Amino acid sequence: MAGKISNTPATYTPSPTSQNKKRPSIVTGSDWVRPDGRGLHQCRPAFLRTGAVNSASGSAYAEFGNTKVIVSVFGPRESKKAMMYSDIGRLNCNVSYTSFATPIRGQVHESFDPYTLKLCSYFSPSTVIFCINLMLLVCQASDSKDLSSMLHKALEGAIILESFPKTTVDVFALVLESGGSDLPVVISCASLALSDAGIRLYDIVASVSMSCLGMNLVIDPVSEEESYQDGNLMITCMPSRNEVTQMTVTGEWSTPKIHEAMQICLDACTKLGMIMRSCLKEAVSAPEE
Amino acid sequence: MGATDVIASVKAELGKPNASHPDKGRVSIYVDCSPTAEPTFEGRGGEELSIELSTALQRCLLGGKSGAGAGIDLSSLSIVEGKVCWDIYIDGLVVSSDGNLLDALGAAIKAALSNTAIPKVEVAANASSDEQPEVDVSDEEFLQFDTTGIPVIITLTKVGRHYIVDATAEEESQMSSAVSISVNRQGRICGLTKRGGAGLDPSIILDMISVAKHVSEQLIDKLDSEIAAAEACDEEL
Repeated sequence: MAGKISNTPATYTPSPTSQNKKRPSIVTGSDWVRPDGRGLHQCRPAFLRTGAVNSASGSAYAEFGNTKVIVSVFGPRESKKAMMYSDIGRLNCNVSYTSFATPIRGQVHESFDPYTLKLCSYFSPSTVIFCINLMLLVCQASDSKDLSSMLHKALEGAIILESFPKTTVDVFALVLESGGSDLPVVISCASLALSDAGIRLYDIVASVSMSCLGMNLVIDPVSEEESYQDGNLMITCMPSRNEVTQMTVTGEWSTPKIHEAMQICLDACTKLGMIMRSCLKEAVSAPEE
Repeated sequence: MGATDVIASVKAELGKPNASHPDKGRVSIYVDCSPTAEPTFEGRGGEELSIELSTALQRCLLGGKSGAGAGIDLSSLSIVEGKVCWDIYIDGLVVSSDGNLLDALGAAIKAALSNTAIPKVEVAANASSDEQPEVDVSDEEFLQFDTTGIPVIITLTKVGRHYIVDATAEEESQMSSAVSISVNRQGRICGLTKRGGAGLDPSIILDMISVAKHVSEQLIDKLDSEIAAAEACDEEL
């Protein structure tokens, strides 16, 4: 295996959507057919489970199509001695990608490594939770500072920080497989983990993103759609309070398009909020049986 | 802007284009917060703010992944498709910080780009398709960057129940949240970032967008006239 390190520039990627494929010409007016057959305004079915990591105060695992994320929450813990006294709690967020999360190993760099394991396609929800510790030993995770700060901003508006003064709550998110629309899944999963940990929240936080492809507005894009997108709008909101905690827009949008996109996303967030609530209720009622 | 001082510089290097977009050049934006602005920026202190500002600027100026809607036309930066392109490095430096850093940086970058001249490159005609072609960078002739498409960033800060434009550091210390909207000359939104922890009602965000569009028209006109005046001064020298 060691002798194979040669000049080959990239690892073998099984997916056909590699660099050579040209962007399909999206003639203005024609509809974009989604690779997984969903409607334009249809989100991927969500699989949510709390209690994925036994050693954490709270944790959650979320699977939206091919995007698989696990979040664990530790705390409230004593703040480091170096930090100043504060009468409200602190939130510390960290988002990292595993090295096997993207089709090309490592987020940015293309390098050949004999230890690349194509575990992604072999995952099923139950085995993931079982194998998570083994994987963390084998592969390094790459940190993503800007995603961490966006997760922080999305969550800090929802947590009642006054309920745990002088302490810190740590949120660690690990993206096991990146199948598009990663940050919204991370945010929704993190708020589930926070509720599992018993941290007091104003409301659960649901997040959805939307891509603009030519004339079409496509919700919950997959990585293929994201690579062709003309613009992206991501909204994080608290459905019951009807408050937006975070919103980012990339690309060129006209005002009516933004109105329409926001409306569709907020509706999707409300539905996602209901799914998250039912997941939490199941988790609570199951042990009582 | 007021007591906020920022410096923006643009450097261009020849490089290899991204494999997924062979016909486009590359632009990378980075902001550095210098300790001269705030003592807390020394060492790692300013890193978080730098990353936040850089990400917000990249979002506003570079548009979607396919390159559509970008303020800077990336295909004009390509020299030989798939092999050689211009790598543009835009660096911003915060010298004095009195609030509203993002707007000042956006305006500075727009001005810096309008002053940028990319040298003309001639490609040797008989290069085989596998090797790197020979490029001859001309010292004499330059191409001016086209900056009419570059958007300008307006930050609306929500303080209590009102929102204000161009907040000073004192006003920013009281803010509950802020929305930075980047609008271009045609009145289309090129990027939007919400900062700050508090939640906002969606109708407020839509209202902020219309206010930002209104203010941006004045700002773009003022900026363009200032840049034109400065360039006229340069030519006279």
